[in-house]
Amino acid sequence: MQSKSRTPYDQLWEGLMKNLTADLFNEDRVEIEGVMQDIASFDPRFRQKTLALCHTLSLSAPSLVPSVVKRLRKTSQALKPREMERWVTRAFDLLESKGMDQFFRFLSTTHDDALEEFRTREGLSLQAVSAILEAYLRGISGITLTVGQAEESYTDTGTVYLPPLLSVFKDRDRNFLLYKMAAAHKWAQIAAGTLTPQVESPHGADGAAVTADRGLEELFAHYDNQELAADLYNLLEAARLESFLHRELPGLMREAQELKQEIFLTRRSLRGLSEQSAFVEGLYQYFLKGRVKGLMPAPLPAALTALDHAAQFTSPAETQGILKDLYEAATKLEGPYQHRSFPYIGAIKPDRVALCISRRKEQRRKQIEEMISKIVDMPDIEVETRKAAPAAQTRVERKPRKDAEYLLVKGKLFELDEETKAVIRQSGLFSDGILLDGSSVKEGSVIFSIGDFLEGADREETGVGIRYDEWDYRRGDYKRDWCTLIEKDIHPSDEPFVDLTLKRYWGYIKILRRKFELLRKDLRILRRQKDGDDIDIDATVEAFSDIKAGISPGENVFTKLDRQERNIAALFLLDMSGSTKGWVNDVEKEALVLMSEALDSLGDRYAIYGFSGIARSNCEYFTIKRFDDRYGERVKKRIAGIGPKDYTRMGPPLRHSARILRSLDARTKLLIVLSDGKPEDRDGYKGDYAIEDTRKALIEAKEQGIKAFCITIDREASAYLPHLFGEVSYTVLDDVRKLPNRITEIYRSLTT
Amino acid sequence: MKTKAIKSEEYVVEEEPYYRPVSNEVQVFESAFSNRIPVLLKGPTGCGKTRFMQYMAWRLKRPLVTISCHDDLTASDLVGRYLVRGGETVWVDGPLTKAVKSGGFCYLDEVVEARKDTTVVIHPLADDRRILPVEKRGELLKAPPEFMLAISYNPGYQSVLKDLKQSTRQRFIAIEFTYPAKDLEVEIVMHESGIDRVTAEKLVSIGRKTRNLKDRGLVEGASTRLLIHASHLIRSGIDARRACEVAISEPLTDDHEMLSALTEIAASII
Repeated sequence: MQSKSRTPYDQLWEGLMKNLTADLFNEDRVEIEGVMQDIASFDPRFRQKTLALCHTLSLSAPSLVPSVVKRLRKTSQALKPREMERWVTRAFDLLESKGMDQFFRFLSTTHDDALEEFRTREGLSLQAVSAILEAYLRGISGITLTVGQAEESYTDTGTVYLPPLLSVFKDRDRNFLLYKMAAAHKWAQIAAGTLTPQVESPHGADGAAVTADRGLEELFAHYDNQELAADLYNLLEAARLESFLHRELPGLMREAQELKQEIFLTRRSLRGLSEQSAFVEGLYQYFLKGRVKGLMPAPLPAALTALDHAAQFTSPAETQGILKDLYEAATKLEGPYQHRSFPYIGAIKPDRVALCISRRKEQRRKQIEEMISKIVDMPDIEVETRKAAPAAQTRVERKPRKDAEYLLVKGKLFELDEETKAVIRQSGLFSDGILLDGSSVKEGSVIFSIGDFLEGADREETGVGIRYDEWDYRRGDYKRDWCTLIEKDIHPSDEPFVDLTLKRYWGYIKILRRKFELLRKDLRILRRQKDGDDIDIDATVEAFSDIKAGISPGENVFTKLDRQERNIAALFLLDMSGSTKGWVNDVEKEALVLMSEALDSLGDRYAIYGFSGIARSNCEYFTIKRFDDRYGERVKKRIAGIGPKDYTRMGPPLRHSARILRSLDARTKLLIVLSDGKPEDRDGYKGDYAIEDTRKALIEAKEQGIKAFCITIDREASAYLPHLFGEVSYTVLDDVRKLPNRITEIYRSLTT
Repeated sequence: MKTKAIKSEEYVVEEEPYYRPVSNEVQVFESAFSNRIPVLLKGPTGCGKTRFMQYMAWRLKRPLVTISCHDDLTASDLVGRYLVRGGETVWVDGPLTKAVKSGGFCYLDEVVEARKDTTVVIHPLADDRRILPVEKRGELLKAPPEFMLAISYNPGYQSVLKDLKQSTRQRFIAIEFTYPAKDLEVEIVMHESGIDRVTAEKLVSIGRKTRNLKDRGLVEGASTRLLIHASHLIRSGIDARRACEVAISEPLTDDHEMLSALTEIAASII
């Protein structure tokens, strides 16, 4: 670690020099000097980033560095330093995520239009308001809608996509209003069924209505020019949705009226457009202001009445009727049709909608399947406690109904709601399942509803990855959403590990429990206080006898309750990387058992998680004990099931632990990390990079008011530790066998 | 006007409080009363639990003693204590003891806020024994048949610390309160504040939308009480959007982004 005294800039500089000189194909020292000089001459605001970029590139293709620097110099003349920084960041991201080809394509497109995106414009970026828009959308819709970025606004029913930057107006507020209107309009499309129309299908069996989720694709399948049809449909529906929005969000629509007129002013005249394009643009302009700029193609007047008409409709089915006529009228005009972007109403993308809906169904199906197998495997007691959990406690006991259907799996009865029925229809019965109808179910049988369990499961986010940023010290910036962390359940093991540990350490555990019990601050009554909530009878009696005896009485005649409660939540994060294989793992587990025994007697809240993973897309986070899990059989089996897995990427699990702790209400939040050495992962997560990211993650935790403490088992007690963990908040154990004793001591001293 | 002090055990609800039953909770409460079973009212804040108690006290013509629980509430605060008066120690009954003696309704509001050792005091009173031990005096008070114990609790605050113990909760019958249905809530807002139907409908719509944000940035959505506050403000001439801001958004959260979102939601509807 001799490099520690130098700045990352120096390190990059030297690294780049070395890589360039080592390149056999480039013996031209002068050129190298020139490259380095060029970089040094850049504005400091993007110099380091440029250096980091060149350094990364020089690892694989040093011969390309000079031409890249030339490009950068050229571009830097067209952009301001701040804008340049954004440009270099984008280039770097492309190099890392998409590879060399895309990177060079990006570098070589330096014409003005391409650079426009990076210029600071007057406008409002989505990034600045996306959190507000997301909460806004969730509020008005009541469903979980996320906000995403796309050139044109549209929605796939799960995400509302909005343009990354709005500069239709000069004024920030106007642009924000436009964002809000676009978002509300997308919600209206979902809520009023625009995206899930019922369509009579000639392809469907017996000409029956196609299921709603494929409706949109089915609808446009009849049309040759699907883009034109989709735009017409969007416009007609927009007219219909106006009244829906007026009803639901009258305040917004009042402001929208004005804004629509302002958008109208920004539209150009129909002149110069092909007849078909002019026809659609005309409809859009009429929708905005009831007027059209320029001369309309022939059938437009009739079409406008159609639009007025559409405003009275109540379902997308009615819109489909006119869509046909309108489309036919449009195709009689001269083409080609060119789609143009329509601020506010955006676009409709049937394929995306279909994809999103089918994904959601698939996910739901998996969830239900998993849940059924989970409930079947659960011991009866646990099912009972789960049922008593807050989510389900308000529900009335289920009684078998004659008209309902039930599924019998391994002696447990499930009520079939529509959703489960659909799942069964699609994928067949679950193994060993039997279908029963209500009349053959006995009175008084315990009936489960999968819905009750799913509610909780949704919130646990099982199986869904959570994205975390990763710190790149060379760039001095985060790589956005770089890592995906997946929460997993640890497979419980039937090995009697915990019992054996308890037997082995029984003497020590007894002492430990006593020690920890002493920490418990039970309520104590403090006697002879100056003030307090009750009278100290003894002291009062004494005071009275003093008065009688003519002595001045004592004043401390009250009792007071001493309530210094421990309000501590501790999260233990366990390194489960491959290097812990063997006795390190066993001792870690033993330490957890002792810790759990001690904390159980103390009554502090604690949780235990483990982490490992391979590469940034697969950071695994194992649940061993959640904060509200009881330290019981199940947790013990999970502890026994802890085993060595893969690599040690510490950033994401630390950030996730911080997130869990953040959601808790506790005065002291502790994060105790058990690891066995340097953070390391397969995809270049090693050395300084890994140390800096881990350090950053720990600092982030500290900023959130979490006290982090690292216990590391490392015989070499390397020099990087103080830098990584901070001077005071770590300890090194040279012998892993000391861990069980030490960890409890550490915890005691940390929390008293 | 001079404020008249009334003794807590003599507080009788004289005028009929405005209360709109959501389902059969009135009958349930009445049969609990006649069968001497204590009642647990649960539900989010501001959805009518306290009003319901007042209404029932009026309906059954019993005095109502309300105790707002907080984490410093001790058993002696409830039962009573010795005070020093004029050179002598004098026993003073706590509100719970007073309610037992006068055969009134004792309503412990937000009972989870009280310390766990305090809640245990009501146990003997809450089961079929119906007695209140007054330890310091070595007495047992037998509750008269008209005495009724009711507690309220908001299961929304999911904290390990603030949960009701099974041994406590299993002594009660529980009535759940939720936000009233849309039309009903509109009527309640109209009645309480005297605002016109159109505005009331808009306010209720805002309230319902904020409830969508529960657990997604908000701990709880806007209660009916907040909506009533907003409509009071509007009626006294405050601009509607401003009223929503100060009466709905600001009380709900301090988070800057969430505030903006709430303000935008309100602005979109009003």
